[in-house]
Amino acid sequence: MSKELGKDRLGKFYSGKKAKKRREWRGLKDTWYAYTQWLSLWKTLIKFMIKPNNLKGFFRYRWMLNYLAVPDFFDRHTEGMRGTQLRLAYTGIGLIVKDMCNMLDDIFRADPEIGNDKEFNEKIVIFDENMMSTLMGGFPNLRWLSVEVPSVYTSAMMNQKGVEYYIDVTEEYGVPGDVCPMPAAELGVSLAGDFPLIGKCAVQCNTTCDGSLMGNGIEARQFKIPTFQLAVPIRHQQESVHEYAAEEIMNAIHFIEENTGEKFDWNYFFDCMKRFNKETEHVLEWFDINKTQYPQVISDNLALYRYGVYQAAGGRNEVFLKTDEKITELAEKAYKSKEPIVKEVRHRAITWGVQAAYYTAFPIWLQNCWGVLPLLDMLTTVSTKTINTDDEEEALMDLAHLYENMIMRNRSNGGYEVGVEELWRYCESFNADMVIMYEHIGCKSMTGYHGLFEEEARKRGIHLVWVTHELMKPADASRRDMRTQVNRYMRTVLHEEPLDPSLEDFEDDKCW
Amino acid sequence: MKDLKHLIYFESLLQEANNDLVREAQSRGKLAVGSVCSQLPEPLLNLPGCFSVRLRAPRTGSIEMGTYYMSSLICECCRAWLERALEGGFEFLDCIIAPDTCAQMNRSVENIEHLNLCSKGHFFVSYCDVPMKADDTALRHYVRQMRTHVLEPLHENLGVDISDEALRKAVEEQNEISRLLTDLGEFRKEKEPKITGYEFAVLCLATYCCPKNMLIDKLKETLEEVKQREPDRDKYRVRVLMAGSEIDDPEIIRIAEEVGALVVADRYCFGSFPGRQVISLNDDEDVLLQICRWYMENGQCPRFMNTDKINERHAYVDKLAMEFSADGIIYQQMKFCDYWGYERALAGHVLREEYDYPVLTVDRPYVVSNSGQLRTRFQAFVESLEIKKINKERGAANE
Repeated sequence: MSKELGKDRLGKFYSGKKAKKRREWRGLKDTWYAYTQWLSLWKTLIKFMIKPNNLKGFFRYRWMLNYLAVPDFFDRHTEGMRGTQLRLAYTGIGLIVKDMCNMLDDIFRADPEIGNDKEFNEKIVIFDENMMSTLMGGFPNLRWLSVEVPSVYTSAMMNQKGVEYYIDVTEEYGVPGDVCPMPAAELGVSLAGDFPLIGKCAVQCNTTCDGSLMGNGIEARQFKIPTFQLAVPIRHQQESVHEYAAEEIMNAIHFIEENTGEKFDWNYFFDCMKRFNKETEHVLEWFDINKTQYPQVISDNLALYRYGVYQAAGGRNEVFLKTDEKITELAEKAYKSKEPIVKEVRHRAITWGVQAAYYTAFPIWLQNCWGVLPLLDMLTTVSTKTINTDDEEEALMDLAHLYENMIMRNRSNGGYEVGVEELWRYCESFNADMVIMYEHIGCKSMTGYHGLFEEEARKRGIHLVWVTHELMKPADASRRDMRTQVNRYMRTVLHEEPLDPSLEDFEDDKCW
Repeated sequence: MKDLKHLIYFESLLQEANNDLVREAQSRGKLAVGSVCSQLPEPLLNLPGCFSVRLRAPRTGSIEMGTYYMSSLICECCRAWLERALEGGFEFLDCIIAPDTCAQMNRSVENIEHLNLCSKGHFFVSYCDVPMKADDTALRHYVRQMRTHVLEPLHENLGVDISDEALRKAVEEQNEISRLLTDLGEFRKEKEPKITGYEFAVLCLATYCCPKNMLIDKLKETLEEVKQREPDRDKYRVRVLMAGSEIDDPEIIRIAEEVGALVVADRYCFGSFPGRQVISLNDDEDVLLQICRWYMENGQCPRFMNTDKINERHAYVDKLAMEFSADGIIYQQMKFCDYWGYERALAGHVLREEYDYPVLTVDRPYVVSNSGQLRTRFQAFVESLEIKKINKERGAANE
């Protein structure tokens, strides 16, 4: 029990059961801050649950049970943190939770089985989980929603076994067990009838991977609303594909217009994009800080928050920009005062490949156990190109570029240059000596470079640590298995001792 | 049935990617264009002075090196290509044109490129983006991509003639092959077919792997031979349609036929549906546009993601099954293939529940010749079809 950074033995909090033994003591000031934030989180959750629609939704949908783990999720993602890091976590991730509650509010309000607000339902456009919502910035009177995000994506983050049932449903349907668990889980929710069937129309996208788009095809049959499939070019680095990408975006806009009767409002869109561009400026500033000896917005504080802002908020929500400003302010202050993140920095790392949804707290474990700072996560390395805010044609081309470079797909598609080569450039600019290479069993796009990664890392003298996982299926590679791979590398290759030995090996298979 | 006179010849052509005809054509100065996917219009790769070779890795044994570079989680076919390339088996290629259709194929080609496994001085790899939907926007994109990433690189790097006349000539040459194969394939509609599924698969596969014009004489002779052939009586127990992912080794068809399932129609990659039908060109429109439109409209790859195309795929299989009087449908899929993993599951349900066909869905390794498991699955399916037939006959008799 100490306020001093890295003094606690964090492994002792794990009881082998769902929840930890007790909450962490971080010194009076930080503990008080964490406690008030914890109370505020409960307030948000209680306010959400007392609404009759949401209560009904809780009992109607199996995946809602996963949200019982929200408080524990916060404890996992603030483990060992003090000072600015703790505040960054509650500021960024806290907002994501509030935003998720709003999304669920709206989903249950429109759900024919629950709120059945038909008028509101007419205004809803459903987007595929992996597809960023930016183009909805031109439709001020419509509501963008994704039923896959709360049911699958965040569910798996809250509770490591949260979507296993749905993966089983898909396998029972006949889809092989070797596909990526994420689209498999989404399809399982659909097959099990656990998607709220809402919305006037839907837009799906060929994002991320071959499996994802194939799952969408089957899901579209269950949605039973007009569905547009947005085909974004795969070889997105080539000049010759951008025109098509822009035409497809325009086709999607026309589809929404036709199905909702709304007109794309360019002025409103430009306002949203101004906000979006400002958000990008903030991210670039965080990156700059992370390149120094005193990085601040790293690990999950960067990754989890950034996913939300980039994919879901899309410049439409002023609150996100305000939060960005707050994060920048906190980070700059901490940088100026040379505030450390861990008691000893042993390695500066880039995490590449997709991280395990069932172990999003893994980067925090890397920090606390081995002093490895995950400065940048692959999924955060999305486009930072500014969107034109006064010329419609230019803006459309920029929007096309943005969609071509959506989260994950900008690395998993597009070839060697973006999948492998850019990693080394990031290592150089962030002065990283280590790459934590996530080998997601079901992700064929990245594993196809396995040997080339090995050879290139060796050539450059970079420590490449493979961490195998199965995204949403911990049964195939548990959290403990992931840690063991790092432990072995640290001990056998680098001959290092952990900063916190209690974290080297502990039982958490049954935890949330 | 009496063995086909040229069957061994055609079979021997399938034993190597760099087979006798490929070597002969290259000795005459022709250029070998490697390709990896059916979404690349073949005539564009068969322009005067060059010929297409779909990558295959026949007689694959160990794929350990391929597995090291691509991990054990990738489709065995793609790993086998890389292994073959590491062994020097694709050294003969003058270029590879690779559409970014399936991530795994793409990775295989990227490994070949970055490991410098094809060493000819002028060797190059060109990647292109091909459409995932069938509409006018996609067609414009398709044409632009084929011009920029197929025709122009062939012309600039290898001096290939890419004029409209050259394109028309290539289409006509392919049409001649398609007519021959269509005529041969038609015999499979007969009650007692004069050609087996295995024999047809061998002939059809050869046309994807060899210079086409060098096969015409022997295909013509074979067609005449088949016309006069006496079919086997009551040798096969059921008729099936084989659908699904890439089959570049006819052994799987042989296994099915050995257990009594005559393969009467082939809707798989490297099969004749689609791919071996006549491409009709008019004089009014751009030739490249017409070729691309044909491939886009007729393409049956599960990669086409729009709902209309998904439904069309099932209707297409139904149409073929009716035309060729198939008793059942086998959907096979190479293990680790994401596209066919989903499509196989969906099609299995749709064809069973909406079209009322008995369907066997099965995943398989790349090398199937020794697969007892696959044989057992086929055998069980044949028996289930027979039982259905018996029950149907009994039902009819009772009425």
